Amino acid sequence: MSDKILSKTEIGSFLDKIKADYQIHAPVQKDLELVWAPIDQAEELVWEFSNTDLSPKSYFFPQTESLMHFKNNSQDPEGLIMKEESPLEKPRALLNIRPCDAKAFQVLDKVFCRDEKSLDVYWKDKRDKTLLIGLACNNPCPTCFCTSMNCGPHHEEGLDILLTDLGDRLLVHSVTDKGQALTANLSKAGQEDINEASRNKEQAEASITSQVKMDNINSRNVLELYEHPVWDQVHESCINCGTCTYFCPTCHCFDIQDETQGDFGRRVRNWDTCMSWLFTHHTSGHNPRGTKKDRVRQRFMHKFKYMPIKLEGAVGCVGCGRCTRKCPVNIDVREVVSSMNS
Amino acid sequence: MKNLLEYIGLEPGRLHFSWISSAEAGRFQAKATEVVEAVRAQGPAKRLIKDIRPDWLKADAA
Amino acid sequence: MPTTNEQIRTTAKKLLEEKTVDCVIGYKKGTVPMREQPFFAYTPEQADELIWSGFCTNNLANFLIGRKDKVAVIAQGCVSRNIVGLIQEKQIRRDQVYIIGLHSPGMLDHWKIQARFPNKRIDQVVEEDDQILVKGPGLEEQVPRKDVRRDNCLTCVQRNPVIYDQLIGEPGQETGGGNIDKVAAPWEQLSSDERWQKFEQSFKDCIRCYACRDACPLCYCNECFVDESHPQWCGKTQEEADVFTFHILRAFHCAGRCTDCGACESACPVGIKMRRLTSKIEKDIRDMYGYQAGMDMEATPPLSVYQPNDPEDFMLK
Repeated sequence: MSDKILSKTEIGSFLDKIKADYQIHAPVQKDLELVWAPIDQAEELVWEFSNTDLSPKSYFFPQTESLMHFKNNSQDPEGLIMKEESPLEKPRALLNIRPCDAKAFQVLDKVFCRDEKSLDVYWKDKRDKTLLIGLACNNPCPTCFCTSMNCGPHHEEGLDILLTDLGDRLLVHSVTDKGQALTANLSKAGQEDINEASRNKEQAEASITSQVKMDNINSRNVLELYEHPVWDQVHESCINCGTCTYFCPTCHCFDIQDETQGDFGRRVRNWDTCMSWLFTHHTSGHNPRGTKKDRVRQRFMHKFKYMPIKLEGAVGCVGCGRCTRKCPVNIDVREVVSSMNS
Repeated sequence: MKNLLEYIGLEPGRLHFSWISSAEAGRFQAKATEVVEAVRAQGPAKRLIKDIRPDWLKADAA
Repeated sequence: MPTTNEQIRTTAKKLLEEKTVDCVIGYKKGTVPMREQPFFAYTPEQADELIWSGFCTNNLANFLIGRKDKVAVIAQGCVSRNIVGLIQEKQIRRDQVYIIGLHSPGMLDHWKIQARFPNKRIDQVVEEDDQILVKGPGLEEQVPRKDVRRDNCLTCVQRNPVIYDQLIGEPGQETGGGNIDKVAAPWEQLSSDERWQKFEQSFKDCIRCYACRDACPLCYCNECFVDESHPQWCGKTQEEADVFTFHILRAFHCAGRCTDCGACESACPVGIKMRRLTSKIEKDIRDMYGYQAGMDMEATPPLSVYQPNDPEDFMLK
């Protein structure tokens, strides 16, 4: 698969080709914020940005999702029988997704599709029907540390196509067969284009100044990290809201409830957060993570120790920096992990 | 509470308060009728209503 | 003339060395632009990291609740009023808190600053008296401080602390310059339909992270109504009615207690202006009961006590 080149003036026709089979979504500017939205024209695309505030994980894991519905009537022959919701109708393409977000979905695939026989059908259905066209970061922001988390500003894992912005044109690198099929008709890239993209990659990787080491976290055993003195200090300023968990592209906890309204009932899944006291509250009244320290420790231990143990080394973080940027009390994940490692 | 809810756009006439003792049976009945009629006159409630029915069910019922 | 930072550090070190307190709660420099970090200094060495700036946008009274030790806390006007409120509500004892008061310069609103430079990344903001210098890649511009102050700070009526054990610096101008009655309850002049529209618009971006609730010093219930599951009062979905219920009820629970500190709006990661609700409630409290929260330790909050002449014009006769 050779690299292709696409001039920005020809993006319209490239989009038309994608639109034939996919509904296109991309980050667009809405007032002060960069949000994910469906797009139609090339003019709506933004090329200079760091990243969206909210990650695109809602495309695969919506904040509120009806899983099944039922007739809430025990007298009815069809009553109280769960019926599936319809699968996703039209496939989508997420254009200009950042490599860190795409890598995050790879990590979540390991969580949601761990077991062939019992995989999360809602997640899988949407994942299978979504094409990911990534835009490499030429200017990573100061809070990024993707290179420390098995990822990088030009990382390909999880993408179907990787675009690198070379100013007036894009280098188009196909990663999967799906991507290859879509880019077959584009002009081949010249060696200078490929070299320029390479230089962009090196520069971007070098500009990431936050280095977060995990070697000691990986080698120490769980109990040692569990009893580490860093937790006494980190939990104090944490206010146990759910901001970090909701903005994080790899956080995936949820709560399932049944709701009824007259004759109609549904089983709905909502995002939940381990920062909430209610999250681990047992019906007996006991709460194994009853204190703030327990919950704060849990979040970092889960992402940086338990997940790598259970998922063959995959870390529950891609270094996007959203949690640090959005935390109301400025808890910096880089500082916490570095302290865990010390 | 009434001020707050009307401030966010709940139609005036939907929320009513009254002090009534259980010993004032006649007054209770009169007030209840008054409130029910006032609220009914507002029509079906559309704001602050949670309707979890999917579109296909609402379309069938319409 | 020592700077505010130096004065804070000297005071904190002395308190810790003399063991007057076990801990000093203040701020240290944030690792991201436009936000400082609440910091707990337990030793004189740690006290050297304490700072004070226009981005100290949390409410430190929030961290007093549930503490068993004796602590010192840096408190400006609104924070000191919240401390009075917490003492009134018996969440902390007066003798447990050593209040290091100081005049508030008015906090800055990072949304307003970013709005001046849409699409540009801001890496640093330096405060220089009545100007702020905003820096980023390809960006270096001065902005008048008064243009980017937090909304509630513009209409503040109590910038000096109402209670303190020690005052740092000099008392300053008491008010923020704006008139709260002019801007509170912005939707009062609108029709019912317009109000609903504005309300929906204001709260549609909420993701139920509860940062507003958790940053608020008034929200300290062991079991918040949204966490109650027997029965579940408030739905957990993103349906409009569920999101709105949370905000309406939380605003109502703060009635007569809110000091308009603005920590909720500063904490919100998506920029929701929930003060549009609380400002209406606090205005009504001022009009109906003539009461302002946290000004007088001996006063009883109007919603926790019944007076025979309480206003009843909302009742059916």
